[in-house]
Amino acid sequence: MKSLQKQLQNATKRKKALLVLSGLLITAGWTVDIFWASGWSFNVLMLLATITAGFEIARRAWQGLWNGHTNIELLVTIAATGGLFIGVFWEAAAVTFLFLLGGWLEARTMSKTRDTLKELINMAPEMAIIVGDEGRREIPARQVEDEMQVLVKPGSKIPVDGIVESGVTTVDESAITGEPIPAEKESGSEVYAGTINKNGRIYIRATKSGADTTLAKIIRRVEEAQEEKAPTQRFIERFASWYTPGIVGLSIISYLFTWNLELGLTLLVIGCPGALVISTPISIISGIGNAAKKGILIKGGEYLENAGKVSAVALDKTGTLTTGKPSVTELIYFSQETALAGVSQEESLAEVHTASLVNGNNGSLPSEGEELLYWTAIAESASEHPLAEAIIAETNEMTDLPEPDQFESHTGQGIEAVLGDNHIYVGKADFLKEKGISIGEGINKEIQNLTNRGRTVVFTARNNKLVGAIGIADPMRTETTEMISKLRENGIERIAMLTGDAKSTANAIAGESGITEVHAGILPEDKNDIILAMQEEGYQVAMVGDGINDAPALATADIGIAMGAAGTDVAIETADIALMTDKLMNIPEALRISKLTLRNIHQNVVIALVTVGALLAGVFAGSVHMAAGMLIHELSVMLVIFNGMRLRWK
Amino acid sequence: MTTTKTILRSDELSCPSCVNNIESNLNQTEGISKAKVHFNTGRIEVEHDPDIASEEKLIEVVRRSGYEAHISQF
Repeated sequence: MKSLQKQLQNATKRKKALLVLSGLLITAGWTVDIFWASGWSFNVLMLLATITAGFEIARRAWQGLWNGHTNIELLVTIAATGGLFIGVFWEAAAVTFLFLLGGWLEARTMSKTRDTLKELINMAPEMAIIVGDEGRREIPARQVEDEMQVLVKPGSKIPVDGIVESGVTTVDESAITGEPIPAEKESGSEVYAGTINKNGRIYIRATKSGADTTLAKIIRRVEEAQEEKAPTQRFIERFASWYTPGIVGLSIISYLFTWNLELGLTLLVIGCPGALVISTPISIISGIGNAAKKGILIKGGEYLENAGKVSAVALDKTGTLTTGKPSVTELIYFSQETALAGVSQEESLAEVHTASLVNGNNGSLPSEGEELLYWTAIAESASEHPLAEAIIAETNEMTDLPEPDQFESHTGQGIEAVLGDNHIYVGKADFLKEKGISIGEGINKEIQNLTNRGRTVVFTARNNKLVGAIGIADPMRTETTEMISKLRENGIERIAMLTGDAKSTANAIAGESGITEVHAGILPEDKNDIILAMQEEGYQVAMVGDGINDAPALATADIGIAMGAAGTDVAIETADIALMTDKLMNIPEALRISKLTLRNIHQNVVIALVTVGALLAGVFAGSVHMAAGMLIHELSVMLVIFNGMRLRWK
Repeated sequence: MTTTKTILRSDELSCPSCVNNIESNLNQTEGISKAKVHFNTGRIEVEHDPDIASEEKLIEVVRRSGYEAHISQF
């Protein structure tokens, strides 16, 4: 008996027990009625079923009243009590049983929609092994204090943020950074709660635990986004606050006009605003949860709704459409035979060779190409220019790169360096010409071709002879073209590129990627003006950017999308949608999920309103009674929940 | 009075109005200075004095409101 009492103290188990008992009593009632046609036994069993299921409902209604709220439970309690009073015992039993069953099913399915959050929360272990003077002991991870030493065994998850004190291992940090390759960790390395210690035993000194960890901050952001109400939800909640008393009023008026108490009570049952109040949050939780699983952090219902209406997208070029890291794309050099024959190298186009390195195919570079890179890199090794970095990066395999004996930089023009008896010039064509080095027609045509394709070209000469030229570009990301066509597929009418870069460079990227509207050579404040102009023309604009210079435009746009936000708090704070990784395809994906969610919200509101409308009409026409009304009402709530849940797999 | 913040989670909140009862019951409990229940995420934030209102007490109040809840580290 005591154990049963204890079991029933558990709210979940108690509700389940009451539900089963009420169901059994209803079944028994119908059995008695069909086989023995005993009217009074039927009524007694239905009365018991009503009391059993109604106990929990009445309790919550009473608690609500005590706390000063009117709730759905109150409507159901009045309806069921009234039903018993006027002698419709079966209707009263059905109403309470169906309401309790509906609530149980709703809770189960709602819990499923919160799965994304649970997955995130379950990433970090609940317990931590701490090592102290008294040896090892296991304590809840959230109770680990700063400076405590924590032991993490191979294969287990790290419970707190901290610094490795001893031990060597690799850690899978994909949960935090999205980086799939495990990171090497040794004494002094930082580790995060929720990441997986792959192979070594490590001792860490805790720096943050529980709600202060980096994982907790990410979880908090997802939660805040899910808690943030969409404009539609706010509107519906305002609507519901006068809707419930309105239904009570309608039911009283109907009773006073018809003196039909059952009609009044049925109105109370069908008027429960369950489907309507749940219509928006269910879609928002599912939509934001689905996006979060893909590394897209949508900051809340409002942004989800706004993103769902986007009709124009403005994209920053550098770092968004391109990798943001200049690299060597072409090498232009002269053939060995010509040089040996003593013919002037640059006289004929046929003697000029271009090696494209765009796809990283520099493995089979001819010796002339290597020589060009070699002499250029020697000069550039003393330079701090961003283009120098690209050239040095290309010569990674040349281990013996000597430092120049002398070096001089001519700002904006080029550099000159001396190594032994080699005098090297690297720079613009004009700079080399100024130094008396001739650049022939053949190579000029090739250079023009590269410039038209948006390349920056540097020339290299050694001992007054042109060795060749190097094309450098900020290469387009591999996904850019696919991303643009996906945006168009998703109904984005206008796609514009905004960049401070030169027109030729911008046009080259736009041409390759399929963007037709280019605004090049502009300042950050111009980006803002362009977005404002687009908005004035009636577009709902999303701006995609990655840098601080994009911040004003991100703020002005209807939706600001920040790229590669993992680890950078500023980007997450300022943007409406933050992409946790650099995955470009997540831009159309974020807009697609938003559109789907917006449509889902509309569908749910329509389902809820149509059901209530149809039920009201049915009640006044006399064809819908209490039990049927509650059944249809509960079905509409479940339909809305399932419709919202579809978004989880979209 | 020492105040600490404890996070509870409930998987059972099935309608936005469910939160009102839990929130009111928690806020009326001695030793709890502030309680906030979030329907969409099932998160329950409680600021309380652990000497007067222990973690077990918080769970008990939520249970009395008709729902099960558990302590969460985040």
